[in-house]
Amino acid sequence: MLADRLRAMQHVCFDLEPSEADLTALGSRERWLVYRDLVRSRLINVIGVALARTKRVAGDQAFQRAIDEWLATGGPKTRYFRHLPRELFEFALPSWRDQDPVWLSDLARYEIAKWDVRYAPPNRVATSEFAFDRIPVLNPALQVLRLSYPVHREPTPASGYEEEPNIICVYRDKHHNPIPWKLNPLAASLVEAWTGAAKSVTETVHEVAAVHGTEIGPAFVEKLSAMIADALERGIVLGGRADSQ
Amino acid sequence: MESRGDNGRRGFVFQVTNEINGIGLGLRYDLATELLERRPKGVSWVEIHPENYLGRGGRYAEILDLAREDWPVVTHGLSTCFGALEPLDEDYANDLRGLLNDLEVPWHSEHLCIGAVNTHFFHDLLPLPFTDEAVATSAQRICEMRDALDVPIALENVSYYAPQAANGLDEADFVLEVLERADAKLLLDVNNIYVNARNFGFDPEAYIDKIPIDRVVQIHVAGHLVRDDGIRIDTHGEPVPNDVYRLLEYALRKVGPVPVLLERDNNVPALEELLAEIDQLWSIYEGATGEKRAS
Repeated sequence: MLADRLRAMQHVCFDLEPSEADLTALGSRERWLVYRDLVRSRLINVIGVALARTKRVAGDQAFQRAIDEWLATGGPKTRYFRHLPRELFEFALPSWRDQDPVWLSDLARYEIAKWDVRYAPPNRVATSEFAFDRIPVLNPALQVLRLSYPVHREPTPASGYEEEPNIICVYRDKHHNPIPWKLNPLAASLVEAWTGAAKSVTETVHEVAAVHGTEIGPAFVEKLSAMIADALERGIVLGGRADSQ
Repeated sequence: MESRGDNGRRGFVFQVTNEINGIGLGLRYDLATELLERRPKGVSWVEIHPENYLGRGGRYAEILDLAREDWPVVTHGLSTCFGALEPLDEDYANDLRGLLNDLEVPWHSEHLCIGAVNTHFFHDLLPLPFTDEAVATSAQRICEMRDALDVPIALENVSYYAPQAANGLDEADFVLEVLERADAKLLLDVNNIYVNARNFGFDPEAYIDKIPIDRVVQIHVAGHLVRDDGIRIDTHGEPVPNDVYRLLEYALRKVGPVPVLLERDNNVPALEELLAEIDQLWSIYEGATGEKRAS
């Protein structure tokens, strides 16, 4: 039966160790081990490229073990090759949180965010200029990360990273590269509120300021204007639109 | 008795529905920047893997937009291989249909093999057994995709490294049976035929002799790796060897001026090296078909 053969292929390619029963069922032990190597090497390679620093810090063996255990769940669920590192990341993050160094999981979160934004969907189209009475249109290729360690600073110090909370917006710039942009807590909340927003800039600013207990005075407006100008310059804020369509 | 269609192909009347002809090149990230800057005349069209572009912005989207300024595009799928038992992913098919409509492709091709099991993806091309059950499964999926995508579907014959013919058809007969049952087009990969012929000891020209030429809409040519143990692997990472050039010429003399794509996905060399291969392909193409490249 074809279904039995497909299941045997899946086990041979993705199990921690291929069983002799499956190899026998497929009929050519050596050649199916070639397939196992071909399939796994492509997957392992792209993940190693996407999470190169994480792999180096975790150690080759531990990193490979995470991939092996992920594949042993049955193989990738995504059809998109570029999404493979994200799938591995989501599987492995709980174990990386318990692994030394303590900043390993932050590093993995930062690296996968860079990978994701590089390959995120195309930018939305802003139908008008940015204005406070309009709904802001943001670059969809961004992620806001709250990190306990400054893993965005490279190269990695020889002694590792000291604890230092940071909020980093990783976004795709005009040259298609992932760039970290450091934010304060209120600015981060604004960016998050503006992502997929259905309310005007003025409304979201009032809501976010209230949540943060911040008074909207001249100093606030000055800082907000500078932040928006920077976001427009970076291509994070693309413009605005008049309605919620 | 031979006849000639409007497009000059021998043996039957067949209308290639757009201007895709001559020699094309796979549009790959590693060579895109130089290719788009130089826009060499030897490249008549480009092929993309839709999975690499669907829902993706950034440089990939830019590359595709720039390529479309000068070249027609055809699509070659990687993740909807026809040997699938699970239902067709309708959400994905809808997304793909949108892209194919946008690109105005004359056909969409995919591999006659296994790419996934129970929605787990191999991200590689695994062989189908050459059985009646696999013929029926593949033919059904081709028909489903043709209905979902609303374009002609071409299947590509794949390379394989483990014997598949025990208690079944031989490879050529398997491919023919699927083509007939699904009324599909064929993307004839001459490198895959050559690799399989060397790995399993059959005559590649005899394989091509069996191909119904009216179904061939496109040809792939590529290089492959010869491992130390002698197994040939379809890597798309080596120059096209002379034996594959000769088999291409043999195929073109049979099927006429079908568009030919040079595939190079790995170990990508300088563009100059690929353009030399494209020149070689044009020489073969012109000699075998009588068609001339545009000046």
